[in-house]
Amino acid sequence: MRLRAIILKEFLHIFRDSRTLFLVLLMPVFMIFLYGWAVNLDAKNIQIAVADLDQSPASRYFIDKFAQSKYFQVTQYVTQPDEFEDLFRRYEVRAGITVPADFGKSIGNEFATSVQLIVDGYDGNTAQTVLNYARAIVAQYNTELLPQGFEAPIEVIPRFLYNPSLESGNFIVPGLAAVILMMISALLTSVSIVREKETGTLEQILVTPVHVIETIVGKVIPYVFLAFMDGMLTIGIGVLVFDVQFEGAAWVLLTNTLVYLYSALALGLLISTLASTQQAAMATALMLTLLPSIMLSGFMFPIAGMPLILQVITRLIPATYFLEIIRGVLLKGTGYAELYHNTLILFGIGTLFLLLAIRKFKVRLG
Amino acid sequence: MSVIRHFVKKEFRQVFRDKQMLRMLLIVPIVQLIVLGNAINLDVKHVRLAIFDHDHSEVSRDLLSRFRSSDYFDIILADQSKLSALMDRGKIDISVVIPEGFARDLGSGSTAKAQLIVDAQNSNLAGIATGYVNGVFGSFQEDFRNRMLEKNPDIKSKIHSVEVVSRVFYNPEMNTYFATIPGIAVLLLTIITTLINALNIVREKEIGTLEQLMVTPISKFQFVMGKSLPFAILGYIELAIALAVGMLWFKIPFAGSFLLLAFSAALFLMTTLGAGLLVSTVAQTQQQALFTAWFFLVFCIIMSGFLTPIENMPTALQYLTYLDPLRYMIKVTRGIFLKGSTFFDLKYELAAMAIYGTAMFALAIFRFRKSTT
Amino acid sequence: MNAVIEDSNIVVETHDLTRKFGKFVAVDKLNIAVKRGEIFGFLGANGAGKTTAIRMLCGLLEPTSGTGTVAGFDIVKQAERIKSRIGYMSQKFSLYNDLKVEENLEFYGGVYGLDSRALKQHIHETLERMNLQHVRTKMTAELPLGWKQKLALGAALMHNPDIIFLDEATGGVDPVARRDFWDMIHDLAAHGKTIFVTTHYMDEAEYCHKISIMHQSRVLIQGKVGDLKVQTGMKTVEELFKHVVTQGDSA
Repeated sequence: MRLRAIILKEFLHIFRDSRTLFLVLLMPVFMIFLYGWAVNLDAKNIQIAVADLDQSPASRYFIDKFAQSKYFQVTQYVTQPDEFEDLFRRYEVRAGITVPADFGKSIGNEFATSVQLIVDGYDGNTAQTVLNYARAIVAQYNTELLPQGFEAPIEVIPRFLYNPSLESGNFIVPGLAAVILMMISALLTSVSIVREKETGTLEQILVTPVHVIETIVGKVIPYVFLAFMDGMLTIGIGVLVFDVQFEGAAWVLLTNTLVYLYSALALGLLISTLASTQQAAMATALMLTLLPSIMLSGFMFPIAGMPLILQVITRLIPATYFLEIIRGVLLKGTGYAELYHNTLILFGIGTLFLLLAIRKFKVRLG
Repeated sequence: MSVIRHFVKKEFRQVFRDKQMLRMLLIVPIVQLIVLGNAINLDVKHVRLAIFDHDHSEVSRDLLSRFRSSDYFDIILADQSKLSALMDRGKIDISVVIPEGFARDLGSGSTAKAQLIVDAQNSNLAGIATGYVNGVFGSFQEDFRNRMLEKNPDIKSKIHSVEVVSRVFYNPEMNTYFATIPGIAVLLLTIITTLINALNIVREKEIGTLEQLMVTPISKFQFVMGKSLPFAILGYIELAIALAVGMLWFKIPFAGSFLLLAFSAALFLMTTLGAGLLVSTVAQTQQQALFTAWFFLVFCIIMSGFLTPIENMPTALQYLTYLDPLRYMIKVTRGIFLKGSTFFDLKYELAAMAIYGTAMFALAIFRFRKSTT
Repeated sequence: MNAVIEDSNIVVETHDLTRKFGKFVAVDKLNIAVKRGEIFGFLGANGAGKTTAIRMLCGLLEPTSGTGTVAGFDIVKQAERIKSRIGYMSQKFSLYNDLKVEENLEFYGGVYGLDSRALKQHIHETLERMNLQHVRTKMTAELPLGWKQKLALGAALMHNPDIIFLDEATGGVDPVARRDFWDMIHDLAAHGKTIFVTTHYMDEAEYCHKISIMHQSRVLIQGKVGDLKVQTGMKTVEELFKHVVTQGDSA
């Protein structure tokens, strides 16, 4: 009964503050549309400049190979290769190709003709992609010019598992669900508890004969509900609007989501015992939940590429485990047989946070 | 002017007395830069590759050794019957299957086929890794052809072949962090100045000191300046810290003009501080302020081109990025930092920021009310 | 209106001043006139409309209808000019807890545009007058509430205003500190300052020259404390208040 009273009170708080409620429900929708549409890591239409010093049919044919590729777009023709750097400084192109003056004449020569590719390297990832694509196009060009019998054709037939359409959305959206669940639950719980601390109403509740556990559970349940709604909203929009695959079983995802929420809320509680002002709670929650969940969980940046020490840290972050779960269920169709240890670890991390929070809580009272 | 000076003095006293806050403002950004600079790593190295050679020929063994000696791959030894399970568990990124008869087909003029199985969850990574595999096949193929051509010198002299000589400017090793560190610096600047300005004013609203200020004869301009200037100075401190970490810890060369960067930051700070002020005029509680500012910040971060190049976005969204002040500042900062871009190189970005900043600040002053209606 | 303008001693006056929040009328047709050097008390229970009235006079809240002047300036059109002539202290302690005592005074003096010499002198005088010299460099958060109130009053007086608005300024303060506080108010009035207070402590109302009893957004009765007692035959303001409010409810 007492538990019910606390839950009811918390729900009232949430629904009275209609602005916050609105923002909390709008947040995931806003995020998923922005991410879903804007975040596309697959480079295409990379703008390049060309300095054709030869101006022969052969050089034009060669340049055409680039212009016609879906990866490149020739947007600037310059007369001197030194102009490339000016273009880079103004961000007008990502790379410049110089075709030498003797390009056409060199056909039939024994030695290879050098075509210079200058890449703006400020964005290392895109620069790497530019190099790869350019080499592939030149290799293709070379093959075409070989006489019969010397092509030695090799066909590499790729099969893309888990994301055959190669859509970024399949990768980003499940990750986003993990980030949003963590953000909403940990941030909301910690801030709402600290607010009661600041206004003194927490003391008021604690002097009533309500057990500490009851207080905590009562405060947390409404947020489980809200966060769960947000999570479902994210996945729902992902599947319906962004055509994200859903290969696995819904119940595996739902049960794991609850376990993940448990760990996120426990973290929120722990933060609320550490912070004394709302500002501090927000800052701590952002530092401890949002940033790691986005940056260190493998959401966008592969864990394998991080230094060892960071790789160890990623193993302490609940989102890392949930990401493997949600991507497994949605993209790979895996179930508990493959994922059970992730579920167990999440549960363990949650319990650890919860025990720490309760201890802190009791210390404060005693 | 003296009124504004007193504001600056007061805000600094408060900030420097709040040790928790001070830590947040000064130490946390350094930690973040270092951690994020290392974490945001899109360099694709250590691709876990399994090779299954059913051909057992000299040719296939040559291919195998080429994969082994490549820096990009970590070769995983696996049993092909367990391949599917291993890929499900994320233990292997790519596997290459060389079927029986590969060498035979290659020499005979018919197409030699190899199969590639790629974990494509992250399509970008999958694309780059596939590119590496194709590169190995490509260079193998080229050598194979050359060997064939060596035996036919008369044909060799008639063909044309082109080789690519590449040079990468500004960042020859193509390190991801060259772009991310200046990006994170701008991100931190945005988040800290927008949030701190909004939360600071809303906090004064909550504790009642704002009302006390509203009965004084200070003008809206004085109030807005008095509240923004201290945080603009803090913003400059953050920027200086970020530059120092980038140059000293990450050893990124600073190619441009500090003065130009400082000038650009002033234009940019008008936007973020103005946004913070605007948030404070609509929010009644700090929680509301945080959530409202959050929408602005998420929009700014995602549309800025920090995470993903703007040219990869759908065309309609590319137009939307023009509304994002971060878009300009990230370009400007990266340009000045890495490329040594000059005022004239960046004139459009700077003009956009000047317009944006002035408009935002003017709007904030306009929206701010000394009395309630 | 004409009569008021002729009397140059009137420093605060309103004409049918009304404020509505949606459908709720918080202040209904307020008419008052306060002379220089007077202590004018707004009496009433919580929610009677006192704070709303004072916020309109200070230019913090725009009236829905009616007019008013403070220090000769219109409260709607010239609110900003009023602000340099008044001091304001609200029921909520509104100085910065994380500034030192003298830093609070310095900041508020600075905001009112005092130059550094005047600032130095006024801080010194205020600390002396409020008996706060010994806690000059203490953090404001560490002061007991009564001292904080004195400091807040001191801050409100830094620019030497003609009219001082005190909105429930003594709420939560112990009786001795309240006594002190009122001594200071009388001293200010004796020096020609006009004091405008709201309170629900009836004993404090005894210290006022003039009172106005507000009940459910309306003024039920107003005038000199002595006159009102004679008029109604009541001995104390407390009895007077109860009498008037009971009558008002039955009417």
